[in-house]
This record gives sequence, C-alpha cells and structure tokens, in this order.
Amino acid sequence: MPQCPVCDAPVDLEKTPTVPFCSDRCRLIDLGRWLDESYAVPDVKKPDADEADGE
Amino acid sequence: MADEMSNSEYTSADLKHLSDREHVRERFGMYIGDNTSRGLHHLVYEVVDNSIDECMANYAKHVGVTVNVDGSVTVEDDGRGIPVDRHPQLSEEMERDVSTLEGVMTVLKFGGKFEKGAYQTSGGLHGVGVTVVNFLSEWCEVEVSREGHVWQQEYQRGEPTGPVRKMGTTARTGTKTTFKPDPQIFPQTKFSWDILSRRLRELAFLNSGVRITFADAATGSSEEYFYERGVEEFVEHLNKASDPIHSDVITIKGAGDGVTWDIALQYTGEYTESLHSYVNNISTTEGGTHVSGFRSALTRALNAYGKKSGIYKDLVPTGDDIREGLTAVISVRVPHPQFEGQTKTKLGNGEVEGIINSAVGDFLSKYLEEHPKSARAIIQKGVLAAEAREAAKKAKALLRERKGALSGGGLPGKLRDCTSRDVEKCELYLVEGDSAGGSAEGGRHREYQAILPLRGKIINAYKSRDDKVLANEEVRSVISAIGAGIGEEADLSKRRYDKVVIMTDADVDGSHIRTLLLTFFYRQMYRLVAEGHVYVAQPPLFRVRSKKQVYYVQTEEEMKNQLLDQGLGEGVFFPGDGREIAGDEMQKLCRTLSGLEDALLALERRGISLRDHAARRDSATGKLPLYHVYYGLEERWFTSRDDLEAFVKTKEQAAGGELQMGRAEEAAAAGDPTPGTAPGTGVDQLVVIDLHEVRSINAGLKELEAMGFDAEALMPQDRTGREEARYTLRRGENEIGLEDLRGLLTAVRRAGEKGLSITRFKGLGEMNAEELRETTLDPANRTLLRVTMTDAAAADDLFRVLMGEKVEPRREFIERHALDVKNLDV
Repeated sequence: MPQCPVCDAPVDLEKTPTVPFCSDRCRLIDLGRWLDESYAVPDVKKPDADEADGE
Repeated sequence: MADEMSNSEYTSADLKHLSDREHVRERFGMYIGDNTSRGLHHLVYEVVDNSIDECMANYAKHVGVTVNVDGSVTVEDDGRGIPVDRHPQLSEEMERDVSTLEGVMTVLKFGGKFEKGAYQTSGGLHGVGVTVVNFLSEWCEVEVSREGHVWQQEYQRGEPTGPVRKMGTTARTGTKTTFKPDPQIFPQTKFSWDILSRRLRELAFLNSGVRITFADAATGSSEEYFYERGVEEFVEHLNKASDPIHSDVITIKGAGDGVTWDIALQYTGEYTESLHSYVNNISTTEGGTHVSGFRSALTRALNAYGKKSGIYKDLVPTGDDIREGLTAVISVRVPHPQFEGQTKTKLGNGEVEGIINSAVGDFLSKYLEEHPKSARAIIQKGVLAAEAREAAKKAKALLRERKGALSGGGLPGKLRDCTSRDVEKCELYLVEGDSAGGSAEGGRHREYQAILPLRGKIINAYKSRDDKVLANEEVRSVISAIGAGIGEEADLSKRRYDKVVIMTDADVDGSHIRTLLLTFFYRQMYRLVAEGHVYVAQPPLFRVRSKKQVYYVQTEEEMKNQLLDQGLGEGVFFPGDGREIAGDEMQKLCRTLSGLEDALLALERRGISLRDHAARRDSATGKLPLYHVYYGLEERWFTSRDDLEAFVKTKEQAAGGELQMGRAEEAAAAGDPTPGTAPGTGVDQLVVIDLHEVRSINAGLKELEAMGFDAEALMPQDRTGREEARYTLRRGENEIGLEDLRGLLTAVRRAGEKGLSITRFKGLGEMNAEELRETTLDPANRTLLRVTMTDAAAADDLFRVLMGEKVEPRREFIERHALDVKNLDV
C-alpha cells in the first residue's frame, strides 16, 4: 500500500479523503514544507563539489 | 439582618445538633459528592481504599470485591483486621464500653489515618471512609478475623443492631465488610460491572503487587487484577490499541521529602495526549502541582536533548507539541494532600511541583543520553507536531491571502495571463527559467495560453552541495494562478485553465524541476492530476538544418536513428572475409548493433567488460550469464534461473534452511568488497544481481551470429603489426577502417551527419519565440504528454529519493542516474 509522504503510514488511495496523505494534518505539514522551501532536489547544472571530494 | 430576624421568634428550639449519622444522611453531598451513580460507586471505593491501605502498609496482599445477588457488596482483605478491643478514649466520651471496631464504623473522624504512624499516605477520603458507607447503607455487616477469632457486628442505617460478637476461632486475619446501599438515599442502587471493574483494575495498576479479585455473584463472572510492574503495565494497557514509537515504557520511581512517585510514559503515533494522574490513588482529573512539575521537566529535558543532538533546526517544539502522542501515568503519594479546583481533583501542594520536576528532569536527561534511538523517535515526533502547528498557521495565512487576492484580482506578478476566460480552452504553461519564459511569451497563442515562468531557487542546505527548491513565492504563484485552491478548500471547478503544462529543459536539471512540480501537484492538487489536467510539454532536443529545410528532433534516440538511416545510403561494409554487406543486409546489421549499443554501455557501466563477460558464456548454449551472485565468499555467474535455483537449493541444504537475502543495491552502493556476508553481522547472505541488459545482448549476439559475426567482432583486437584495418566501410570514394563492429555504427552515423547542421538545445532558453511556438506551444505541432496518476506517483517516489533525509543514498542515486537522463524522466 502507498505510504503517506509525511508520516509513512499506509494510505488507501481509494478510501482516504486526504489522498495521498493519511490525514489532513500530514497534508498541512507537507504544504508547510513547500512554503518553507524545505523540499529540495540537488542542483546538478554545475558539476558540484561533493563529487570531487570523493567519499 | 436584624430587622428580618426580629419578625420571627429565634429560640433554642430552632437549633439542633445533628449527630454524625444524621449529618451524613442529610448532607451526603458533603461526603460522597452526590447520590447518583457516581456517589453510589464511591461507597465501594471507600471500603476498598481501606483494604488497599492495608496492602500498601504491607499487611495485606489480596482484596476481594463481590457484588452479591441481593445488590449488596462484600469487600474482603487479608490484612490485620480492625481492632475489636475496648477503645479507652471513645469509651470515656460515650460513657460505655465501645470497641475500636464500633468506633471505626459509627464515629466520624475516627480512624488510623489521623495517626501519622499508622498509614503513611492513604487514599481514604479524609478519614470519613467506611463510617460514611455504613451511615448510607440500609444494612451493613463487618466481620473481623483477628487474634485467633472471628468477630462480627451488624448495623442498620448506621446504628449497631447489637454488640461486637465473638463468633468462633480462626487462624487467618482480615476484614470483610458487606453493605447494601440505602434506597432512601440512592434512587438507584444497582452497581455497574464496568464502572467497578475499571476502578479496581486502575487500583491494581497503581498498587503493584496487590491482587484484586472482582466477582459478580448474579452472573458468576469474575476477574482478577494483578500487576507486578504497576504503572508500567498501566501504560501498556492504555497503549494496546496504538502503535508506540519506541518499544520501552519509560518508568520513573523514587521517594524524597515524604513524597513518593511512580511514573510511566511512552509515546505513540497518536496526536493527542493521554495523561492519567493520581495522588494517593485518587484520580486528579484537574491535574495540579505533580502534573505541572512533570510537564515542565519533560519539555525541558526533551528540548535540551533536541538542541544538543542537533535534531532541532529552527523550530523548537512547545510543551503542547512535546506532549502529542504521550501516554503517561503519574502516581504520587503525598502525606497531607490538599485538593483544589471545582471538583476537588487538583493537587495544590506547592512543594510537590519542585520535587517531581527535578526527579523527572534528572531521570529523563539520563535516559535520553542512554537511549538515543528512543530519544530521536520521541523528539522527532515533537518536531513534527511543531511543524504541523506552524504549517497550519502558514496555510491559514495563505488562504486568507488568497481570499483577499480573489476579490482584489491579485494574480501573481510574473503571470502572463491569456485573454480568454473560457476555461475549457485555456492553458497555463509553467516554464523553467525567465529567458525561456520570455520566448514562450513571445511565441504563445495569446488568447488561450498563459505563461508563468518559474525558477528553481538555489539554496545551500548542505555544506558541499547546492540544492534547488521551489521558492515560497513560486509555490504561491502556482496555486493562485491555477485558482483551484488546495487541500480542504480545493475546488476544481474554480480552476482557471483546463490544461496545466509543465515545460522544462530536457536535461537532468529540468527533470528535477519537473519532478518537484509533479510532486507538488500530486500531493497538494491531487484532483487536478487525477482528472487529467496536468501535462508535460515535449520540447525538442535537436534542431536539424539541411539544405532544403529545418526540422526538430525530440529525443536522443530518435536523432541517432535518423542519422543511421541517412548514413546507410550507399555504404558497403567489408568484414574482411571476402563478403560485401550492403543494402538490406547492411541495414539489418546496423539495427542489430544499434539495439546492442545501449545494452553494452549498461553492462560496461557496471564495470563489466564484454570481453570478460563473454569468457563466462555457457559453452552449451553460448549464452552470457544473466545473474551475478554472491554467497559467503563465493562469487558465481548463472545464465538461467534454473541454474541459479539449483545453486540456492544446494546452499539451503548446507545451511539447513532458507538463505538470508542481501540487497544488491545496498552492497553495490556501499562498495562492499564482500557482498556475500551481511555488513556488521558477517552472516552469509545471498546477493543476486540481475544483469537485465544481458537479455538484449544475448538476443543481439544471436542475430549477429546468424549474420556470421561472433562476440569477438565487437571487441577491439590486439594489434599484431598488421597494417590494414580489420574491417572496412566504403561509402562512395571514401574508405574508413574499423577495428571492431561497434565502430561501424559511429562511422555510419557520422556519414549521416553530412550536409546537416545539428544543434543540440542545452535549454529552452536557446530557442527563440518562433522556434518555441513551432515545436512546443502550437497545438497543431506540439506533443503534450498527459500526466497519469501512475506518472505522478512515480514522481513522488523519485522525489522522496532525491530529497531523502539520508544524504548518502541520494547521492548514489543521482550519481548512478545522472549518466542516464532517461531514468530521471517521468
């Protein structure tokens, strides 16, 4: 079963009104994270430093 | 007042001195609260409390409670038994011989609880206890076993019907009280099994080691409550329907300054707090100093640890956040409890707060240090609660803002809206980058196409790596431009466009931004995706100019195929064995090689060369191995599932059971030199790496074989001083020497490029408005991919990997996939 993006609880996509979240609360936490700019993907346009520093 | 009085006679006859018995019966509210079910059950608790006191003073082990068939209740213990001898002080006051037993049963404020030595801390209601029960009973009978005899006395509505009688001999000791509540006092006198069992179980939890049996004579049912681990088991009992986030129940026991405490707590995944507090076994539903001492210590200890361990970033949870999901039982014993509050269930003793606070604080600080795993789980729960609180605040502000924005017509400043309001025809392009946004604005169909340029914002979250986020303003722009709201307030019918088209560069970075946006839509605008309003634009990757025309090619693969077709032309291939390959045969050969190309690259990316792998081929079938297997120190290769299974069977027999499976990805990621042994434990484990691409390689090799080439033809050969090339490709006048078959493809493609000028777009921004219109915006020429739920869910999965908390796996994932842009596409 798919997991809630915030708390990892299993979510029934058919029956949960707050899909894909388990609850409105988790949906809200997720929204807060978007607004907080805390969801990041790596910026790969320039070859970045951590590939150079090995381990 | 004097005036009022003067009108009526005020004589001694108007005043009366109520006896204890009369007072209790007339003013029962002062003693048991009320005469409802609550007061009725209170009678049982009063008697049981006396027995529990005997247990707590270590004189009794067992308390039995039975609801008899006639509605009376018997409470029995194996304590010392109430003294039955003459009580001098009482006898003197009453001017007759009065036994202690009779005093206990018939005189208020008479009892062992007032002598500090008799009971340290007692739960009985200020010594009114069993006397009140007797006064409020239709009849009552007490049987005391003590000093080798059984003694007995009976009462009617609180008055003795006779003296204390000696009944016979006995070896045991204890007190047995039976009473029937007086229907003159209680309108309803039937006891509830559920209410009594709940309280008796609670008492058993609070007084570990006390065995309480409860029976209903009418139904024959009985239960026993006995908890050696006391409040710890109470917490387990309370949490039995929830999922604890750490396995152990934290228990804090101790005594000091006359106060003893017995506290247990555990966190679950719930969002509410479940706190049960008691003082001397009395439930303090309004809390009080013991609860406030506990709470402030909990907040202080957890926050100190959270800060020290670096779990807290900018958000520090409040006390309320910290208590989300907390199940706690706080039981304290205080010599002289003062009860306050509306229902007198709030502990008022000021000194208790400091005592509990420092006891809990000291214990928890140490516990957190010693149990980092539990500590982390608990603290992260608090952080999540804080985050939820903050997020709710932000979301509310956002919604308020949007409501204002709707009436004020405040669309995002960067939006280049379309002129039409016909939602069914309108489209919103979310375009990566300001310069591409500019081109798109120039190339769009102004009436129906709106453009919102978005730019990933670079942040430096980790020391050595730049990250990209959707800026707060961008998130809000997207929400307000689409207009359908989010979450609870979402209303798809309010959307301003029928299609929302994500248009990003055809590179890894573009695919990351696309993943971000798709994840956002999937999570926060689920219906928009579910109902098929989200699309991905397909901008071309190449512009090809020939003498006659300009055209665009969308993918790398397509470009390669076109070049191959162009380059085949009149080419003739000389494999060096006298043959000449041309026309259809040449085309077939190139197609086969093209099919092999990616598969061979994939194999080599694993660090396996074709030469090495071909050496492992099955001599019978000629097939190359599909499975790379490690077990213990063994490394094996298998060309079929059957062979692999046979190997596993042998190992299972040797191991005497199923083998432990290791994960190939983890072993590879960790660069584990011995993947066949589990990291840490060193236990033998089976790791199977499925070399998917070898399926294509085997198929390709078979086709090549049919054309007279073997695997060696694909490998460069050692130079042996020969001057002429191994293979030759002739095209018109030109002859090109080739060292292996793989070179043929490159040569043919290069030939195909002749007369063409090919530009690879590095980004959307390199296209001008006209080009963008022609290829990506104009509905007549463009290709839009509609995003399905599966696509969006896959984006969400990918996103979780990309932004996962653990930096390491994420980096490996990116390094592995950065080479292969296709895998990042959704």
